[in-house]
Amino acid sequence: MTGNGNKIGAVAVVGGGIAGVQSALDLADMGFKVYLIEKTPAIGGIMAMLDKTFPTNDCSMCILSPKLVDCSRHQNIEIMTYSEVKSIEGEAGNFSVTVHKKPRYVDIEKCTSCNDCVDVCPISMPNEFEKGLSERKAIYKYYPQAIPNAYVIDKEGDDEHRACINCMMCVKACKVGAIDHDQVPEDIELNVGAVILSMGAQPFDPSVKKELGYGRYPNVITSMEFERILSASGPYQGKILRPGDMKEPRKIAWIQCVGSRDWQVDREYCSSMCCMYTAKEAVIAKEHNPEIEPTIFYIDIRSFGKDFDKYVDRAKNVHGIKYVRSKISEILEDKGSKDLILRYEDEAGELHEERFDMVVLSIGLGMTEGKKETMQKLGVEVNDFGFAYSNQENPVALVKPGIFMAGSFLEPQAIPESVMQASAAAAQVGALLREARGTLATPRPVYKERDISGEEPRIGVFLCHCGTNIGGKVDIPSVVEHTKSLDNVVFADENIYTCSEDTQKRIVDAIKEHGLNRVIVAACTPRTHEPLFKKSLAEAGLNPHLLEMTNIREHCSWVHEDGEQATWKAKELIAMTVAKSRHLEPIPTSTVEVTQKAMVIGGGVGGMTTALSLAGQGFDTMLVERKEALGGRLNDIRFTVEGIDVPKLLSNLKSKLEGEEKVTVLTGSKVTSISGYVGNYEAKIDTPDGEVEYTHGVVVITVGADEHIPSSYGYGTDERVVTQSQIEDYLAEAKPEEIALGETFVFIQCVESREGERNYCSRVCCMGAIKNALRIKELNPRAEVFVLYRDLMTYGFWERFYKQARGLGIVFMQYDVGRKPEVEFGEKVSVKVWEPLLQEEVELEADHLVLSSGMAADPNHDELAKMLKVPLNEDGFFLEAHVKLRPVDFSTRGVFLAGCCHGPKFIGETIYQAQAAAARAATLLANPSLEAEPNIAVVDVDMCSGCKTCISLCPYNAIVSVTEEIDGVEVTHADINEGLCQGCGTCVAACPSGAIDQRGFKDDQILAMIRALGACVPGGGE
Amino acid sequence: MEGLILVKDGDIASGCNELFKTFLTSGKLEAILVSQETPNGKMAFPALISDPEKLRSNILSPILPVSEASEISRMTINKGSDKPVGVVIRPCQVRALTEIVKLNQANLENIVVISMDCPGTMDVNTFSNLPEGKVPTDIIMDHLLKGTDIDQYLRSSCRTCKDPVPMNADITIGLFGVDLGSGFLVQAHTESGERLLEGVKLEAYKGEREKAIAKVRGGKDAKREAFISSKKEIKGIEAIADFYDKCVNCHNCMNACPICYCKECIFHSSVFDSDANKYVHRAKNKGIMKMPDGALLFHITRMNHMILSCVECGLCEQACPSNIPLMDLLIPVAENAQRELDYYPGKDPDEKLPMVVFREDEYRSVGEK
Repeated sequence: MTGNGNKIGAVAVVGGGIAGVQSALDLADMGFKVYLIEKTPAIGGIMAMLDKTFPTNDCSMCILSPKLVDCSRHQNIEIMTYSEVKSIEGEAGNFSVTVHKKPRYVDIEKCTSCNDCVDVCPISMPNEFEKGLSERKAIYKYYPQAIPNAYVIDKEGDDEHRACINCMMCVKACKVGAIDHDQVPEDIELNVGAVILSMGAQPFDPSVKKELGYGRYPNVITSMEFERILSASGPYQGKILRPGDMKEPRKIAWIQCVGSRDWQVDREYCSSMCCMYTAKEAVIAKEHNPEIEPTIFYIDIRSFGKDFDKYVDRAKNVHGIKYVRSKISEILEDKGSKDLILRYEDEAGELHEERFDMVVLSIGLGMTEGKKETMQKLGVEVNDFGFAYSNQENPVALVKPGIFMAGSFLEPQAIPESVMQASAAAAQVGALLREARGTLATPRPVYKERDISGEEPRIGVFLCHCGTNIGGKVDIPSVVEHTKSLDNVVFADENIYTCSEDTQKRIVDAIKEHGLNRVIVAACTPRTHEPLFKKSLAEAGLNPHLLEMTNIREHCSWVHEDGEQATWKAKELIAMTVAKSRHLEPIPTSTVEVTQKAMVIGGGVGGMTTALSLAGQGFDTMLVERKEALGGRLNDIRFTVEGIDVPKLLSNLKSKLEGEEKVTVLTGSKVTSISGYVGNYEAKIDTPDGEVEYTHGVVVITVGADEHIPSSYGYGTDERVVTQSQIEDYLAEAKPEEIALGETFVFIQCVESREGERNYCSRVCCMGAIKNALRIKELNPRAEVFVLYRDLMTYGFWERFYKQARGLGIVFMQYDVGRKPEVEFGEKVSVKVWEPLLQEEVELEADHLVLSSGMAADPNHDELAKMLKVPLNEDGFFLEAHVKLRPVDFSTRGVFLAGCCHGPKFIGETIYQAQAAAARAATLLANPSLEAEPNIAVVDVDMCSGCKTCISLCPYNAIVSVTEEIDGVEVTHADINEGLCQGCGTCVAACPSGAIDQRGFKDDQILAMIRALGACVPGGGE
Repeated sequence: MEGLILVKDGDIASGCNELFKTFLTSGKLEAILVSQETPNGKMAFPALISDPEKLRSNILSPILPVSEASEISRMTINKGSDKPVGVVIRPCQVRALTEIVKLNQANLENIVVISMDCPGTMDVNTFSNLPEGKVPTDIIMDHLLKGTDIDQYLRSSCRTCKDPVPMNADITIGLFGVDLGSGFLVQAHTESGERLLEGVKLEAYKGEREKAIAKVRGGKDAKREAFISSKKEIKGIEAIADFYDKCVNCHNCMNACPICYCKECIFHSSVFDSDANKYVHRAKNKGIMKMPDGALLFHITRMNHMILSCVECGLCEQACPSNIPLMDLLIPVAENAQRELDYYPGKDPDEKLPMVVFREDEYRSVGEK
């Protein structure tokens, strides 16, 4: 074992779901070697199984897939699938991790993913990725877009199904010899400096709840199964059918909280995401088939996240989804029709019996016994709910130093929280292994490039049979002949698999031998193999951008029945690519210098944490706070229930900042201007000691939010009416004797919230009320406490405090937004509220009326948003680049956010989000220069009319208008920043003057393709 | 600020000219851009005048040979004026100016926009070839005073004018709802307009201007609607080709258009250049190919680029040497496209061009589901 001075610059990330993938990418970008260890044959986790994601209805696979591909391409990430961690030994900085790798029986390096083996395999078994709704072969790919994109042989099977019978048909069918039935399991020792556990949690198996009939009634399915049914690549190709008889269901019921908030199955927590995914599933189902009538049976609608309330409102009001507040205790089946009968009591206490064609059980997440054993084996401390124990002051750190965790392994949660925790864990690894950063990372190889300027195009074309995938349909030899006849083509050849390792060598040799200066690979989609071929060009001394690909598989052999037609189309497409190739030019790799320093705006818990995390990772940071003192909202919070000692937390953070020489704190200061772009920002800061200028590479916004000051229910006119913060202040100091027997406190939730102008949930107020209610009961158990709520948002493990409160006799009364409580002021504060179960108005005589008014964004944010050119949402909170997968990034590269300015949240949540922002910022700061996107847009200054249309449209704020003197005349034109442009092409399409061209897609290149079209058949043409 | 300026013998044109002179002599304006008749009286062109003695404007002269907005763009595109300059332009040109300012092609710094109630303009040829004894200004005055129908003289886009009353001018010269026998109305809408009118003797105005404007607008709207509904739908590439049949590819329409602003039109660049073999190859496609080949693509591209900002000034049609009735197609297309995107070009200087506004919930019917 080595000491502190010898930390290992490698990290084991255990679990290849979205959390693991995010940690791996962040760490790899920071300069660490990453082993991404996944139990199943492919990375992607649960997110890969989802059809769409809320609240944007993005296709889940479409947004996840690029991240998976990035993982597989990253030179610093080694993906280990079909592998499990057996043990973790050692200490922070130097661990020995033993990984048990199951035999896949397929050589991933050789497998070309051609599917020939699957075609011949005689064994069919249930497809676990499709939740058994369809079948797969014994040799199979985990899912169509699987990374690694390779097959695996199932030799285990299960009790009912026989697996591989060693018939060796696949061995015969495989033309590249990728199949090896003699593979054996192996244990691999990894030496790493840190470990991140993101092993997730399992969807609940509802068959244990016999009364719901899952497993007995074919038309009762789980929400996971429904996700697969919705998916276009799912078992029914996206058609909504009920598994019992493949009929199209019309009436579908969703039942919430199956395996959540349920003591009977020992799961007394909320799974946090089910309310929202159910709303999404119902909305998407209706989009698939407007005839479908969804009904959702629920206890509370926990729409506590950003823009969730608006989504649920749309589901109800625009899509006509029916919501019924009722707990379903039993499902019956009509034996003949296999329809399902639900009996329920509605809010008015009336009994109903309703027939549905299909019932979807909204299952939550939990830890299986097997998982709990693994956790024990790895030394992970477990909480009351079987999840990993987590300390709210640093939620992603395990008790054992050097081991971190993220995602639903910690607590059931949705994608953005998982992604933030994954980045937060990466930030802490970055700080722990700071000295070892870059020691084990693979530097990008540098090749010497041949100058081709002035050369006539000499084009080489490599055509791929892809086994029989292309060659079985397209007459490749005739396409080769035709290709050879095209001008400038000096070499054309065919290969069984162009992507195989030996073909790469042939490409390199052919480039050298024939003096090729353009290369075309006519094979499959560029999505997976383009980087491989580009690398071959680079090795041969050609600029990699002199490569073009033609897709003659997906666009020809796979989509056309008629071989002759497919062959003709392949010729046409290759002729077009040849035409484009003649116009290709080398694209130089340009870089942007990075000032490796950060500025953090806002000195609350988010800002302080971000600054400390950045400094811990080795980056100089300026922390700017508008007020005289650091701390933000921490100064107002007096006590918590989750075990955070707030005053101590604040003083700890302050003293750490004082001791951290890499952080400069400016209080009573305001950023007055920021100019520049990623890597090169210039800020001017007004401080009590005059103006300070600061040069830095990234900006993190952590400006927080405040309690909304209400104006209803007599607030401000009657002093018995107070806000949550005010009652907290009082209770923090109150002595037990100050609270009288029978003294009555009434809390009203959602005051001026979740409706009208502030139509969002503030996430923290339900717990705020419960926290204060518990304190009252602690001071005097015989005080009376009533909480009037709309939906109680005690998501996740907060649920336990709700239960505790009810146990102590705190009365929770639900009210509807259409029938709000009414208040009259007399000797007591009289609160009248409609009680739906009693069907009558109840009058409460309160001594104190406490209003939960939620949080509001500071209107001053607008100024900062304009300064940094980043967006706010309609509620005034900063709007991240992508609500699911980029929760702390802005579209503008180099600007990040964390904390309540992103949306209301708890202290623990702000802490990990702040660490996440620091991690994302570190991925940029870790390198002295950034490589710019090659295919960026370029402005022709002579053509540009300076109309600024492109500037308004650029999603990355990469374009500015500049005025300069050209030949004695002042000319205004657009200027594209190479560091910010992501090559999306929006400006190119929008420019009416045709003054913007995109490298690799220039007008002359595209027009040459169009003109070449139709050249192959007489009479064909434009 | 508003009021009447009295004139002798109902000579509105001279009255206005005198007013403009005072702007120059008082030093409030460094120069003024205003339409001025050529010495033979057969034409009028915008002229930038700094010497009050050279000022012989006639705002009633019913002609708009070139886009006034384009001339302001020419003057200010690279840099705004250091000293105040007045521009006297027609309502359609104020709308065009508003659009090209949004497109960053003109700079209104120190530009004072003076516009007028517009009775309409004549085609260049109509104007210069009026029968013996017919004086353009008299025809207009006759119409303003007695309501004579003068549609036979007007350009088609003036007959169906989208709005003959200016919006977004600093000063309006009011002719509608005014007793033109005694004088004309001036209204200042902005500070710079008021500064210009300071010290000018104004009489109280008591007419019913709003009512008069409503009547004029109502008449024009009715004609415009009738015009649009009388146009047959031109559908399909064959019908569009037929419409532009007479085009000689001179690109005059583009040059005359105040909205077309590209420094170099893409159709003048080498982007579409080809070689003989390719031409022959394309000819083989259908056995025949019309030359020059780009006319139709040019018109469709031009329409695509300018239609949302089209203010219907009709200068393209006036410039066409082949007399293609361009507005027959442009007005209905503009009307539909602008209504679809809820955009009225030239109306609100602060409203963004539809092109630069992205609304996520827009056109969901055609987007990704």
